[in-house]
Amino acid sequence: MNVVRTFSLIITLALVMVSAVAAQEMTKDEWQRQINENTAKRNELRAKLNALQAEVDKLKKDDADKAAALKKCNDEILALVEATPESERAFAAMLDQIDSKINELARLSNQDLWARKGEIDDVQKMIDEARKNKLSLLPKYYDRIKEQQNRVDALRKSLEGAGMQTYTVGTWARDRDCLWNIAKKPAIYNNAFLWPKIWQGNKDQIKNPDIIKPGQKLKIPPKGDLTNEEKAAVRSYWQRKQAQAGTGGQ
Amino acid sequence: MKKSLCGLLVAGAMLSLVAAGCSSRPSAEELKQLEDLKAEVASLEREISAKESEKAALQRAIAEKDAQLKQCEQDKALVQERLQGM
Repeated sequence: MNVVRTFSLIITLALVMVSAVAAQEMTKDEWQRQINENTAKRNELRAKLNALQAEVDKLKKDDADKAAALKKCNDEILALVEATPESERAFAAMLDQIDSKINELARLSNQDLWARKGEIDDVQKMIDEARKNKLSLLPKYYDRIKEQQNRVDALRKSLEGAGMQTYTVGTWARDRDCLWNIAKKPAIYNNAFLWPKIWQGNKDQIKNPDIIKPGQKLKIPPKGDLTNEEKAAVRSYWQRKQAQAGTGGQ
Repeated sequence: MKKSLCGLLVAGAMLSLVAAGCSSRPSAEELKQLEDLKAEVASLEREISAKESEKAALQRAIAEKDAQLKQCEQDKALVQERLQGM
């Protein structure tokens, strides 16, 4: 009896499961409903896509027109300053060079800057040259050159602020002034061997370091080790002296 | 009593099986037709999304060019003014 009951229970469960699976399958009505829904959606999306494509095509045309107008405007500006894209590139490269030179000088200590102060003048010449070019009137370059000039002015100011003193040469009879003795003074360098600094700092007025005149106003560069340029000047000075001594001895 | 309960259960299960099995079903071809339609809808949705992105990018590019054009016109006027002052 128990066997019959268990068997009928298993059969019942199996039948319930089979009927549940069958109920999950789509009916024809449901299929038709989904077909109708998706067809309507597809038609709506197709129309939307077509409208979007038309908009995109119009925008592409607008974009091309704007690009052409922009090119025309830029060409007109270049024509105004009598420049070509090539000459503009060369001009921009020159400004890059000025920037890089200023950056290099700005990184120097006051002492090194003093030793290379001639380079500040070189940069100034480059800026003056750039200003002569009509391309400098273009706002993008105009402001850049202005900024470069400000930086060069700041470099000059930092040189002035480096405690640059002056010394007025006295007479030999009274003060025993020569570059060696001036450098030796405690108020100057307190180190006679730094005399080439005074010489190189006053190249414009001292041609021969053995000759300085009373009343001459000498600039005293900041104290520090001799720069390579100053060392080279001393070497060439001693070589000249030796050559003169050799000639004098013959 | 127990016998009749078992009988009822079996009968009920068989009835539900008959009810599920007798309703009309779409053919395999019709089911494929629906699947294709759904795939087409999904593809169209992707295309629309891409097109909308393209449209937005173009609108941004045009707005940028408008601003550049305006700036260029101002620059041109400024250069003309500076040239006169040279």
